[in-house]
Amino acid sequence: MSHLISAIFQPGFFSNGPVHTAMIIGGGAAVVSACIGVFTIIRGQSFAGHALADVSSAGGAASFLLGVNPMFGFLGMAVLAASAMELIGVSRARERDLVTGIVLGAGLGLTALLLYFDVTSHSTTGAATSVMFGSMFGVPASIIPAALIIALAVILLVIIIYRPLLLSSLDSTLAAVQGINVRLTGLLHLLMLSLAVTLSAMTIGAILSTALLIGPAAAALRLTKRAGTAICLAALIGVGATWGGILLAYDSYNWTPGHGWPVSFFIVSIIFVVYLLTGLRGQRGRFAIPAANSLVRL
Amino acid sequence: MRLWPASPQKRRAYACMLAVLSIASVQRPALAQTPTPEMIKAVGVESQYADVISQVGGQYVQVSAIETDPNTDPHSFEASPKIVAQIAAADLVVENGLGYDDWADKMLAATPSATRLVINVQQLRGLVDSTQNPHLWYDPATMPAVAKALVADLAALQPAHAAYFQANAARFDAALKPWLTALAAFKADFPDTQVAVTEPVGDYLLQAAGADILTPFGLQAAIMNGTDPSPQDVTTQNALFTGDKVKIFIYNQQVTDPLTESFLSLAKRNGIPIVAVYETMPAPGYHYQSWMLAEVVALRKAVTDKVSTATLLVKPQP
Repeated sequence: MSHLISAIFQPGFFSNGPVHTAMIIGGGAAVVSACIGVFTIIRGQSFAGHALADVSSAGGAASFLLGVNPMFGFLGMAVLAASAMELIGVSRARERDLVTGIVLGAGLGLTALLLYFDVTSHSTTGAATSVMFGSMFGVPASIIPAALIIALAVILLVIIIYRPLLLSSLDSTLAAVQGINVRLTGLLHLLMLSLAVTLSAMTIGAILSTALLIGPAAAALRLTKRAGTAICLAALIGVGATWGGILLAYDSYNWTPGHGWPVSFFIVSIIFVVYLLTGLRGQRGRFAIPAANSLVRL
Repeated sequence: MRLWPASPQKRRAYACMLAVLSIASVQRPALAQTPTPEMIKAVGVESQYADVISQVGGQYVQVSAIETDPNTDPHSFEASPKIVAQIAAADLVVENGLGYDDWADKMLAATPSATRLVINVQQLRGLVDSTQNPHLWYDPATMPAVAKALVADLAALQPAHAAYFQANAARFDAALKPWLTALAAFKADFPDTQVAVTEPVGDYLLQAAGADILTPFGLQAAIMNGTDPSPQDVTTQNALFTGDKVKIFIYNQQVTDPLTESFLSLAKRNGIPIVAVYETMPAPGYHYQSWMLAEVVALRKAVTDKVSTATLLVKPQP
C-alpha cells in the first residue's frame, strides 16, 4: 500500500514549494471559476467567458512590458474588456455574440502588439507561452495573499447576490418584474467573471482558462439540476482536476527524464475526461437535461 | 457611415479602447554609417561577432550588427524588412547557428547571392545540431577560430589587403591573452567553484573556468526556452541559495521572467554574489576581449570579496 502511495505521490511532492504555491492558487482559481462558470453557462455567456479570458492576455502581455506582476495585468484588462462589452450593451443573444467576437479580435490583436513590444524591448523570455498557456510552477509565492483575497471576494459576492443573480440569469424578464436590477446583476456577473478569468489565466494561461471556467460547471450541470448543488460539484471537479493535474505534472518529471510535462495539459485533459464521463451518465437517462437554462431550479 | 458612435455610453467604450491602444511606444536603435563603394559590407548577426569583424577588417570593412540591444532577449527576436535588405546587400555574414539565429538562415536562403560569404560559427566549430547550448561566444575557442575564418574570407574579397587582415587578426589574438590568462588563473586558484545559473548563456565560460554548475540543465533549458519549469528543478535551485551551496549566482540579464527574478531576490537575501552575463555585447564601452575579461574579473571578485557585479553596462553620464 505504501508502495502504491509513494508511486502516486512521488518523493518530495508534499514538501515542494512551487507545488504548494500552485495548489493554493490553482485551487482558488478552480473554486472561483466553478462558481462563476455555473452562472455563465446558465446565462448562455460561455463565449463571453472565453473572450474575456483571451482579451485578458493583452493585460498579461502589458504587465510584462510594465514590469508588474501579471495578475494585475490580467485583472485590469479583463475588467476593461468586461466593461466594454457591457457598455456597448446588447440585449439580443445574436448581437451579443457579435460584439463579443469583435472585442475578442481587438483584444487578441492588442496582445500580439504588446507581445511584440515585450520581446523587442525587454528581456521577457517566454512571455507568449506563459501568458497564453500559463506557468504554474513559475508563479512566485508572494502572489498568494492577493490571489486569495480576490477568490474570497468573488465567493462572498456570489453568496450575497446568489438569488437575484440566479433569477436574472434564468429569466431576466421575470427578474425585472420582481424588481431585480437586471443590468446591475449582469454587470456584477461580468465583473466576477473577470476576476475568475484572472485567477485561472495566472494558473493555466489565458487561452486555457475557458476550460476551467466552463468544463467543471458543464460537467456538474449534467449531473444535477439544482444550481447550488451544481456549484459545489463544479468546485469539487475543478479542484480535483487542478490538484490531479499538478500531481501528474510532478510525476511526469520521471517519465521523460529531466523535464516534466506542462501542468496545463494535465488539468485540461482531466476536465475533458470528466466531461465525457458525465455525458455517459447523462445518456443513461437519469440525469439527462436538455437545456440547462430552462430546467435549473432555484 | 459614422465612425464615432453617437451614444455617450458607446463613446466611453471607444475612448477606453483607444486609451489602451496608445499605452506603449517603443523603438530599437539601428547602426548605420555611409559605405564607400570599395568597402566590404559585412553583417555580424550578433553584436559580438560584428565587433570581431570590425577588429579584423579594420578600415576596409563597413560592419553592421543586428542583435545589439543588451536589454532584450535575442532568442525571441523578430526580424524586419530593413534587416532583410541589410543581409541581402552584405558581402560577408557571420551568424551563430545552432538555432539561435535561424531567421538569418531563412533570410540568406531568401536572398541568394553567388558572391556573398557566410561564416556559420556552429559549422566552423564542427558542432552537431543537437548541441544543447547555443551561446558559443562565451567559449574561449570560438573567437580565435572566427578571426581565422574572417582573415580567409576578407582576403578572398579583397586579396590586396590580405596582409593587413592577417596582422589585425594577430593583434586580436594577442588582445585575447589577458582574458585567457585571467581564466586560467581563476581555474587554478578556485578549482571546482560551485555556481548556480539561470540559463546556459555563460556555461562555456564557467566550464572553461573550471566551475561546477549545480543548476539542473532542465531548468536552464526551461528558462532559456520560456517553458514551464519542473517543480523539482525549482526546488533544487532554491536549495542552492538557501543551503549556501553556491559561491556565485550567474544571472542572464537578457533572459528574465518572474521565476528568474525570484531566484535573484533569494540569492540576494542569502548573500550570494551575482554576476551578470549577456546574450549580446554590453555596449557601449566594450570590445569582445574587454567584455570577456570583465566577466572573469567579476567572477573573481565574487569569490574573493563576495561582491556582486549586477550589470556590466556603463550608465550614460547625465
